Amino acid sequence: MSKAEDQNRKTSERTITTVCNCHCGGACPLNVHVKDDKIVRIETDVGAEPQFRACLKGRAYRQRVYAPDRLVYPMKRTGERGKGEFERITWDEALTTIAAEIQRVKESYGPPSILFLGSLGDVTWLHNAALTEELLIKAGGYSGSWGSPSGEGALLAMMTSYGMPAMGNSREDLLNSRLIILWGWNPAVACNFGNTRLYLAKAREAGARIIVVDPRYTDSAAIFADQWISIKPGTDTALLTAMAYVMIAENLHDKSFLATHTMGFEKFQNYVLGNSDGIPKTPAWAEDITGVPKPTISSFAREFAAKKPAALIDGFAAGRSAHGEQFHRATITLAAMTGNIGIQGGSAPGGCSAMGDMLMPVNLGPFVSLRMQGEDNPVDLAAPPRKDAIVAKRMGRLGFYMGVSQSRVHRSLIADAIIKGRQGGYPADYKLLYLVNINYLNQIANTNKIAQALQKLEFIVAQEQFLTPTAKFADIILPNTTFMERNDVTTGGIGPFYGYMNKVIEPVGEARSHYEIVAALAEKLGIDIFHGKAEEDWLKEIVHDCRDIPDYDTFKTEGVHKVTLPVPFICFEQQIKDPAHNPFPTQSGKIEIYSQEIDDLGDPLLPPIPTYIEPWEGRNDPLVQKYPLQLVTTHTKRRAHTQFDNLPILREIEPQAVQMNPADARKRAVDNGDMVKVFNERGAMIIPANVTERIMPGVVDIPQGAWYSPDENGIDRGGCANVLTKDVMSPGGAFCFNTGLVQVEKVKE
Amino acid sequence: MNQIGFYFDQTRCIGCYTCVVACKDWHDINAGEGAWRWIIPVEKGRYPDVFAAYLSLSCLHCAEPACIPACPAGAVTKRDEDGIVVVDSEACLGNSECGMFCKEACPYDAPRFGAEEGAKMQKCHLCAERWHEDKKPICVDSCPMRALDAGPIAELVEKYGDAREAEGFLYQADLEPSVIFTSKQSKP
Repeated sequence: MSKAEDQNRKTSERTITTVCNCHCGGACPLNVHVKDDKIVRIETDVGAEPQFRACLKGRAYRQRVYAPDRLVYPMKRTGERGKGEFERITWDEALTTIAAEIQRVKESYGPPSILFLGSLGDVTWLHNAALTEELLIKAGGYSGSWGSPSGEGALLAMMTSYGMPAMGNSREDLLNSRLIILWGWNPAVACNFGNTRLYLAKAREAGARIIVVDPRYTDSAAIFADQWISIKPGTDTALLTAMAYVMIAENLHDKSFLATHTMGFEKFQNYVLGNSDGIPKTPAWAEDITGVPKPTISSFAREFAAKKPAALIDGFAAGRSAHGEQFHRATITLAAMTGNIGIQGGSAPGGCSAMGDMLMPVNLGPFVSLRMQGEDNPVDLAAPPRKDAIVAKRMGRLGFYMGVSQSRVHRSLIADAIIKGRQGGYPADYKLLYLVNINYLNQIANTNKIAQALQKLEFIVAQEQFLTPTAKFADIILPNTTFMERNDVTTGGIGPFYGYMNKVIEPVGEARSHYEIVAALAEKLGIDIFHGKAEEDWLKEIVHDCRDIPDYDTFKTEGVHKVTLPVPFICFEQQIKDPAHNPFPTQSGKIEIYSQEIDDLGDPLLPPIPTYIEPWEGRNDPLVQKYPLQLVTTHTKRRAHTQFDNLPILREIEPQAVQMNPADARKRAVDNGDMVKVFNERGAMIIPANVTERIMPGVVDIPQGAWYSPDENGIDRGGCANVLTKDVMSPGGAFCFNTGLVQVEKVKE
Repeated sequence: MNQIGFYFDQTRCIGCYTCVVACKDWHDINAGEGAWRWIIPVEKGRYPDVFAAYLSLSCLHCAEPACIPACPAGAVTKRDEDGIVVVDSEACLGNSECGMFCKEACPYDAPRFGAEEGAKMQKCHLCAERWHEDKKPICVDSCPMRALDAGPIAELVEKYGDAREAEGFLYQADLEPSVIFTSKQSKP
């Protein structure tokens, strides 16, 4: 570029700061260059440290906004559900139809037959799925679902162990750790809040030892770790239990911490030593189950007990499996046995987030601010309480959305509920499905069954930016704006920082924001939802309620408000320093290794102490004769769940492929790059093989989020991992995306 | 000449491709066109003793660039003031008229041509325009791991040492690529 051109560019371009927000676990400032209402290029945070630098997804966002497949006007279905045949209609026709269908279904079948599914597609405070829920409540109520696909097992573990959902110290505290254990966690790819990866690199450079426990030699293992312990999927709790055995047998555990701060350790000790079931959980016992050699287990246990402070950070991934809640219960117990909770350089396990946004009421409050001011959902109120709603019943009014009442079905089971309805023991016969920000078909287990279930509904509406595999089943699709096309507010999760997401350009085509859509639909339904307030009035209220942000106008102009913590935030520091005055909100006031609350449920598959339970579809399931490979479904760097899968600029980075060890590939005469069929009873896909030493033999990985694209024979060509996963929930509510058996064979095409 | 070059810390790079995508966004390069910056994954060993690393590379603005004498049209030149190797796309004959000799000559695969008929050579010019605004190249400013830097080679050497090789990268002494590394060592 010549200097003259450069000068011309500078004078005609404006830069507007907004914050990338796409459910990746982070939120990163973007300085967006705009010319004539067009985004021309993107820079990221170049301000004061700590900078929050956007990743490749944020940098590709211009391509997303202007993608040729972007939905730019409302459409109605013209072909069979799922085929993707639609025609353009006006907003008025779309909204009139939706309002009429909501009224018709409500009057014919009652409000519980209206099913709502929404997600955190854009994790923001105003334009989120909660607005539609608020509208449906005012329209008479709706059936919701419960369960966090990311970490319901972790939530149960935190609630029963700590009495509250909080975990992890703030990330800069990693610099105080001597040992860091990344257990089933790959932050090099799944970012989990800004700068996590940078702090891990700096901790390693400062001399911390880093151990990764994972079936795969992940990028985190490759770049950060001193040691990789490869483990068979679904057996993590067995390894943790054997480590406890070593600590107890060699008297290495922190008895003073356990006595002061925990309840029920003796019961766990009895289980570990085999006093309760006759099976001592020795390293030899665990070697057979986990595939980790005995000496490795012993030395790992000794090191964890000795090298203090140590941060054991338990990825949600290992908890997204059969009995995944046991994994997080066990990590919490091991961190307590080593006295690493509530101290600098330690970490409170319970998932891989940090310091729990949830400790900061302001982060949780605005997120649901609108509906918190509203009414409760009549459908939730009318149903009896769920007996096992351990998580939900502690969440106050938010508990409705987390499943305090039996009106809600676990998200894994929605397809089954649609198919079977009340006759099958479910709370309602669903007739109408309202989808906001959610590619449900793609992202919940057993995609083929969900596709079948969606055919059964009378009416489906979807708010989307793209014609996702789920949106293809909708009768009406409403085009949503991206965050570039509306004003909003968000939090950077940890840092902490707050972002004003400035509107950068006018909406593309006829796309509308969530707020505009809900306002227009409310008008059609004759409902007053926003009390005459405009979008910005709400944003001002939200910001006003947030004690950390001094002034709305400055915040809006600067785009980013960073809050510097004087010292790292230590989760449960007060509870550990001064337990007499700061009891944990559990029955005993302590960390409950034994949970009376769980015991009271009387479910033998949900024991009151952390327990290794053999998973279904594990290595010892007779099904291995037909399907000998364990499937894990991980994150990839080029998507945030299902988002961004359609962008060529990111697709070309790496193809959607099944990762497998050369030993497994050789047996099947598969070479790297060959097309293979991956299948089980639930479905099949044909995708390339990625043959690599970076995964343990007997395990294959298909990164989740690739768009389901069945061919004429029903074989998925997109590589949607959930074609193969089982629609079942763990006894404690964990989703089981990492439990499943498959076979792989070479195909000639 | 005050040669400008790159520094790359292989111990920091997580292979996230942010530099690659940021470069494409900044320079308006679409999917399928020749990337000015790219990632080379390195994998060695046998399960469970595995080594993996990444290498983020672009044109390395060699002191003695092989592409310059290879170009039949004299379209590739080296700037006197900072040693940045630039291509004059007016003068470049394009992929169909010439044998893409520059691409053939470069051992680092830096000259790139699009697939379409007549596509001109394009490659990294170290974000020459950004230096006017006191900004580093977009790849450097984008890296979430701070694994990349750029500047006068002498300054980079002073700051980071003078290692010229990394896992997956071979230093060609005759070309003197303007890059220094912190290399990720594979286990012995």
